[in-house]
Amino acid sequence: MLQKETLARYLSLCLMSDADFAEIYEEEEVSETLSSLNAEVESVNRTLKSGAGIRLYRGVQSVYGYTNHTDDEHLIPMIEDLKAALGKVYGHGEKDVSLTLVPVEYENNNPVKIDFESVPLADKAELIHRSERAAKAYDPRIVKTQGRLLNVRQSVQISNSEGRLVGDTRVRTRLMIEAYAAEGENFQSGGYNPGAGKGLEYWEEKSPESVGEEAARSAIVMLAAKDCPSGKMPVVIDNEFGGVIFHEACGHSLEATGVAKNQSVFAGKLGQKIAADCVSAVDDGTIPGAWGSENVDDEGNPQRRRVLIENGILKSYMIDRLNGRRMGMESTGSSRRQSYEFEPTSRMSNTFICAGTDSFESLFEGIERGLYAKKMGGGSVNPMTGEFNFSVREGYLIENGKITYPVKGASLIGTGQEILLNIDRVSDNLERGQGMCGSSSGSIPTDVGQPAIRVSSITVGGTANE
Amino acid sequence: MNKQKWIARAGELGAQGLEIYEGQSAERSVTWFGGQMDSFGTSSVLGTSIRAIVDGKAANLALEAVDDEKIDETVSLLIEQAKLISSKDTDELRAPEATDEVKSRAVWVKPSMTQIREKLAAIEEAIKAADPRVRQVTEIGWQESEDSREITNSKGLHVFDASRSQVLYAGVAVEENGEVKDGFRVEVVSDLAKIDPAEIAKKTLENAVEELGSRPIPSGQYPVIFERRAMTSLFGALTDMFSGDLIGKGLSPLKDAADTAIFSEKITVVDDPKNLDCLSVANYDDEGCPTRRKVLVDGGVFRQALHNTKSAARMGTVSTGNGFKSGYASAPSVRPMNCCILPGEKSLDELCAEMGDGLVITRLAGLHAGLNHVTTDFSLQCFGYLVKDGKRDRGAALITVAGNFLDLMKKVVSVGSDLDWEYHTVACPSIFFSSCAIAGE
Repeated sequence: MLQKETLARYLSLCLMSDADFAEIYEEEEVSETLSSLNAEVESVNRTLKSGAGIRLYRGVQSVYGYTNHTDDEHLIPMIEDLKAALGKVYGHGEKDVSLTLVPVEYENNNPVKIDFESVPLADKAELIHRSERAAKAYDPRIVKTQGRLLNVRQSVQISNSEGRLVGDTRVRTRLMIEAYAAEGENFQSGGYNPGAGKGLEYWEEKSPESVGEEAARSAIVMLAAKDCPSGKMPVVIDNEFGGVIFHEACGHSLEATGVAKNQSVFAGKLGQKIAADCVSAVDDGTIPGAWGSENVDDEGNPQRRRVLIENGILKSYMIDRLNGRRMGMESTGSSRRQSYEFEPTSRMSNTFICAGTDSFESLFEGIERGLYAKKMGGGSVNPMTGEFNFSVREGYLIENGKITYPVKGASLIGTGQEILLNIDRVSDNLERGQGMCGSSSGSIPTDVGQPAIRVSSITVGGTANE
Repeated sequence: MNKQKWIARAGELGAQGLEIYEGQSAERSVTWFGGQMDSFGTSSVLGTSIRAIVDGKAANLALEAVDDEKIDETVSLLIEQAKLISSKDTDELRAPEATDEVKSRAVWVKPSMTQIREKLAAIEEAIKAADPRVRQVTEIGWQESEDSREITNSKGLHVFDASRSQVLYAGVAVEENGEVKDGFRVEVVSDLAKIDPAEIAKKTLENAVEELGSRPIPSGQYPVIFERRAMTSLFGALTDMFSGDLIGKGLSPLKDAADTAIFSEKITVVDDPKNLDCLSVANYDDEGCPTRRKVLVDGGVFRQALHNTKSAARMGTVSTGNGFKSGYASAPSVRPMNCCILPGEKSLDELCAEMGDGLVITRLAGLHAGLNHVTTDFSLQCFGYLVKDGKRDRGAALITVAGNFLDLMKKVVSVGSDLDWEYHTVACPSIFFSSCAIAGE
């Protein structure tokens, strides 16, 4: 990382322009991925990234440059390019640009007990193999297993022309297990990919065996799955990764990226009812050790808990500094990016629907014919229209209030505006699941989450037509 | 970086081979919004990826700050990585091989910042003026990049190439009777000066306006034409079925399909990294293996899988030159490069006439999640329009299309003539299928 004096010199140089704000984001990241097939290590890859991104604002215009050559020879011409793109470049003495950087410290909310770099590779491979062996032992029909263990440590240092100098280190670990089940010609898969913003101690808390068993359970269920019927019907969406529905149907549309430019269906709706009364939702980047947590956002502002929706009323957007300027609002500490190779923007952290009071069983009451979506795949949304889609990885048909048989090939579509109003029951079993979220500032770790919810009517896409 | 020093020292430390891959990229981008420049971006990144072979196993380590003083430390990490590999597969570095190199026909004229700003401003104005239903020009952007890669290894291989690309994009939102739809257009542009803002405005607006008034259609089985862009995105998301790596591991639906009919006899699939009609042309893959044209599926029969060095060794065959990385930092995996379904004779209009009544799907969403790569089952949000008596009727939205890709590809009625590579490395013409499940009302 660059020294304080060097950073101050670069920031001052940035301000010798029409810029009213400048920021330097430095990053060093170590990551390793171990991959295994049938409990044999297939590959071990490491990546050591390091670079810096410099951003200048003039009102709501922003210019951004990045490089991994962090010396005067490369950074100064880049700064000059950025200044020229923004407007006038000032000469020596034409503008007072003196600044002093004052380091700001925050308590580490995500302490690490077992640093992955201190653990031998063979021990890390054994974590995957334990999981794969448990998957294989789950049922003789499990014929193949695939596993990956990902460990990352990202250190960032952010300095800006307001004199702030902030650092943060984010450590994450994730185990991704895929189990394959075969019965004659029928070949199906099931997966489970939990992770945390913790060191390897997380795998003492969440046993690798439980990960493998869950993947295997899902693959075996899918062997018996029939084609999913299609059309509009009530849907019960289970907890944990089921929260991807809120992430897609609503979360992205509450990011300032779309809202600030009036490119979201929820723009201009603060204080208005956008969801059913039983829905409250939160984006919280401060949950200790969570996959989407960090101490500060990628503009150096402390992470926080944001109540997005309270009893159906829209309370807050997720706002970064630049879009805050457009909206005339303060940043909510929501600025994130994949790496120095991306200009940051407003993003989610750990986003979930809060626990309700209905029992899980009561969600099925009165459903003549519907879908129970137990495990989700991913999805996507167009914030401008609110139209979203997401895939159901493990689903079941509900008939007369009872789960009857598993179904495959289901997807759910709708508009965020409509679905939030159609949630009619929220149970009490809140859990979060881990995902990678893609948007203009790259792919970042986020938690989704919810208790099991019921949506009174949603379009289910499947192959069985009656 | 003193590469020969790295190679020599790696040998002394116990690695039987060392490969150094350097990827250099420089980009410049400008976006325009609300009558002014919205953002400007510039970048320069050099990434180095080092691959070591130890006892027939390969390990990969990528780094962005290379230090010749740290050779021992870095190579030791690589050796530790390679020694952990327990699978029986072996890998090796490539020796230099001769090939007839081709050169991309693309000619790029680099615009000045003033030219870029003026053109983006003109396009914004042209879109606003083109249709009273324009609610907002959501984004206009210009992006240019220069990339090069250099591969050097201990077997004496040395390969270098460089490419450039320039892309213009525009987005618009239109509104009618309270309904909002958006459209987006990406164009590869060799000379920005020759771009007519009115033409870009027309193309950008086309898709958005067409979707106004779209609504669900009743659920059921429909004759369906996947228009070339939808077909390209669906096929593109499933080309991993041809990966010799997945076939060898038994994870591709084509694992036992060699020389059998997998698609309709009307379908022929070709992969040709040297195809000069494409934006990206590669004489070598990312292992330095010369590339070549392969017919993967010939008249519906699966004839050839794609391979890199490792997957080929596992199956007792030779690399097809498809060992490409997903970025400089990754190890080479097996990827298609300029892969297409060969076009047929009929235009989209002629396919619609042939279909009579049915659905044209123009766009798919949710491809990253709504596909099962093991079974090729898919269930996806889609957009399009109904066809009645061979003519375009009303738009269809908030519907899904679902099925099994291998089953679908046996129901081909006709293959269209409208293959267009644009900026893609996988492309398809429009294809008319006898039936497919649609869910809506």
